[in-house]
Amino acid sequence: MKALEVRSISKMFPGNLANDNISFSVEKGEIFAIVGENGAGKSTLMNIIYGIYTPSGGDLLVNENEVKIRSVEDAIKLRMGMVHQEFMLIPRFTVTQNIVIGDEPHKGIFFDYGRAVREVRELSERVSLTVDATALAGDLPVGVQQRIEILKVLRRGAEILIFDEPTAVLTPEETVELFVTMRKLQAEGKTILFISHKLKEVMEIADRIAVLRRGKLQGIVNKKDTNEEELARMMVGRNVVLEIPKVDVEVGAVAFACHDLHVRNKRGYEAVKGMSLEVHGGEIVGIAGVQGNGQDELVNAMIGFSHPVSGSMELNGKNMRMVTTAQLRKEGMSYITEDRGRRGLVMPYTVRENSVMGQHLGRPFSKGIRMDYDKVGEFAEGKVKEYDIRPGDVYDTAGSLSGGNQQKLILARELSLPHNFLIASQPTRGLDVGATEFVYRKLLEEKKAGKAILLISLELSEILGLSDRILVMFEGRIVGETTPDKTTEEALGLLMLGVGIDKKVQS
Amino acid sequence: MSESNFTTKFLKLFGIDNQGHNRRDPLNVWVPLISVGLALIFGMIVIAASGRNPFQAYGLLFGDSGLIPGGPAWRREFAELLIKSAMYIATGLSVALAFKGGLFNIGAEGQFWVGAIVATFFGYWAPVAHTFGAMYAALGSFGWIAQLLHGAICVIMGMLAGGAWAAVAGYLYVKRGVNIVIGTIMLNWIAWFLITSWLVIGPMTPPSQTFTSGTFYVADTAKLWRIMMPTRLNTSILLVLLAAYATWFLLYKTTVGYEIRAIGYTANIGMEAPRAQGINISRRILQLMFFSGALAALGGTFFILGMQYQFPNTAIMGYGWTGIAIALIGQSEPLGVVLAGLFIGALRTGATSMQVANIPKTFSDIIEGMAVGFIAMQVAVRYYLVKIIQHRHARRDPPADQEAAA
Repeated sequence: MKALEVRSISKMFPGNLANDNISFSVEKGEIFAIVGENGAGKSTLMNIIYGIYTPSGGDLLVNENEVKIRSVEDAIKLRMGMVHQEFMLIPRFTVTQNIVIGDEPHKGIFFDYGRAVREVRELSERVSLTVDATALAGDLPVGVQQRIEILKVLRRGAEILIFDEPTAVLTPEETVELFVTMRKLQAEGKTILFISHKLKEVMEIADRIAVLRRGKLQGIVNKKDTNEEELARMMVGRNVVLEIPKVDVEVGAVAFACHDLHVRNKRGYEAVKGMSLEVHGGEIVGIAGVQGNGQDELVNAMIGFSHPVSGSMELNGKNMRMVTTAQLRKEGMSYITEDRGRRGLVMPYTVRENSVMGQHLGRPFSKGIRMDYDKVGEFAEGKVKEYDIRPGDVYDTAGSLSGGNQQKLILARELSLPHNFLIASQPTRGLDVGATEFVYRKLLEEKKAGKAILLISLELSEILGLSDRILVMFEGRIVGETTPDKTTEEALGLLMLGVGIDKKVQS
Repeated sequence: MSESNFTTKFLKLFGIDNQGHNRRDPLNVWVPLISVGLALIFGMIVIAASGRNPFQAYGLLFGDSGLIPGGPAWRREFAELLIKSAMYIATGLSVALAFKGGLFNIGAEGQFWVGAIVATFFGYWAPVAHTFGAMYAALGSFGWIAQLLHGAICVIMGMLAGGAWAAVAGYLYVKRGVNIVIGTIMLNWIAWFLITSWLVIGPMTPPSQTFTSGTFYVADTAKLWRIMMPTRLNTSILLVLLAAYATWFLLYKTTVGYEIRAIGYTANIGMEAPRAQGINISRRILQLMFFSGALAALGGTFFILGMQYQFPNTAIMGYGWTGIAIALIGQSEPLGVVLAGLFIGALRTGATSMQVANIPKTFSDIIEGMAVGFIAMQVAVRYYLVKIIQHRHARRDPPADQEAAA
């Protein structure tokens, strides 16, 4: 019996077709994996199935009946449950309180905590998911917190469980445990949808695998008929490659260098585990990798947002391990961010005000404590013309510009700062072809001008087209170094997904 | 032209686009005015509902508020209006400036009283008071120089102390992550009880007097000049207008203000954009709290040097709290704060006269509260305002596609 069927589901966001005519069906008692790169449309699809988004077109069938799922409540009524990547637990509540919240056993108007605890214990025994029903959720390790989430959806009677990148927050040991749990649930007759971009895990747990790329279903394969290489090829595919002219520049001195750098993420786990790299003047070094392999933490350390726990970091020969962003900027660091709304621009500020942030102190933009907004205005007018920032009124707020024009504004600002080292973190994310090409052209101009450039990107075509050297980052380490003429997208894709790395390490 | 396109175009005409409201949006001026208007209308309804005549009440309230010239007591009322408003504008500016940096300085109250007590101290403390007293006597017709210096010292010391008091909350926030609202509100009570339960009835009370009489009186040289005899109107209103200008200048003309506004605009998303440009957020927040506290304390120095001449045992809290309402009504803009301060000052001045007609003076508080309420509902006010404008425009100038259809 088909537990769930998706018939030509599409989801249109403004300017972006997130899901394009996707159809598949999942048998009852099956573990069905959906893989794809970030932005391939996996989460959108799951949000449609779970009633968070309404599809632009297509039908959903649950247990072979056509259904309309308009809200999460509808989905729960249809016995579906989602285990989110970010847990939605209340840390100061006990395990029991967290599990029963929203559907509490009660005596009259009073919450019957005793019965709730008994219910939770019975449930956890029945599905053999051990938890301490009276412990505080906040005190428990992440793996156990996830178990609470699973129990929560089971208690609501879920027959179809959706796991949205469940292993992203787990340690390898916890992942093994999770898989044991998933197998048990399967044995109980539950249907599981497993979203991931980690091929090794998918190959271990799934029965069938659907591959998404850029919103389209690339194919559905049986686990026993496929291998990681084939999946990776389906996932990465061939992107439309923009013509990027080759620019040869003589490589200069080392501008940025780090050695054995270790950086922790916000939760305190080590996300960068011993990275060493050098970037020379007149060189673009590309860092390829699947999102979430330590790139964000590496960038945070390089721009002074977090201090590395150990290792060395140098800019122009000066030690920069424990310094502030201001000091790095002074030494010649420029930074193009993918997060334009949060990190790149102050959205309610005008183009004029944004254009000088970071160089507003001292001449020509201020005299003493006084800002010289006339000079700022002149500067902004000039940059708007030079970079063709539209609509072109320097009094428009940054938030009113399109993504491409916001990025041009960021480029205009960052490239006009005195710098010799440029960090470009996913500089074309979310941009259309025209703006992308503009960014490429500017990066190559920078290279010609002898600047050292570190390009961090998830787009392989970009990495291959622009970089002089390519470093592949996987789980916080550099697992390979190559040059564009010695490699292909397929080979890089495999390396990025960690395929074959274990073998190499062992041999 | 499609309907949605029409709407977008129209909103843009009034400065609103999809990206939130623009700073040059004329609605920014209309929303507070309409909110105040609505508060006045609802105030009438409340008065009428209590069985009193709203026109009589408003006649008394505004007739004696000092806003409308004429009548036998007008000069006195006008003076009272300005004296009150000066203090409210000071605390309003304090709260507004902090708002601009994304901080809710709920501690203007405490900073106000810290300013007041320090101004009192430097007003009477013998080493200072005697020096300026002697100087005044020696200078003869140039005695005003001594007055100017002594007054300035009292005001400046008060402002420094109030600024430092607020900076404590800033420090706790920056270094220890203590929420600024919690920090400032706690410091309010610490300041208030240190002053009223200890200093005013203890060390700062003249030994020959009972503990109910308040502190020493400040020397004559410390008092603010009276500028409209015979009323007690003093220079405080001029000083606070200067402070409003300085606040505007700080926010819109200096590098510090540029950074503070960038911090304020991004406060709810982690302030990453200014941080990534190398702006030292901790330092700016500390400075911002200092400036904010100094402004509130300025109001406190007016309370002493312009009105009471001592810290009375009967002081009642409220100037800082009122400042929050004023900052909200004034939309956190210095000019708006000045106007809102005058409005609230007028309500408070006129309220006393209402009592004569057996109308409780709390009705003016009700109006005040409703003005803040309507400001808080400004999204709704904006929404209906735009609807009304659209409706009127649509009637006058039907959209092109309707014409084509007809």
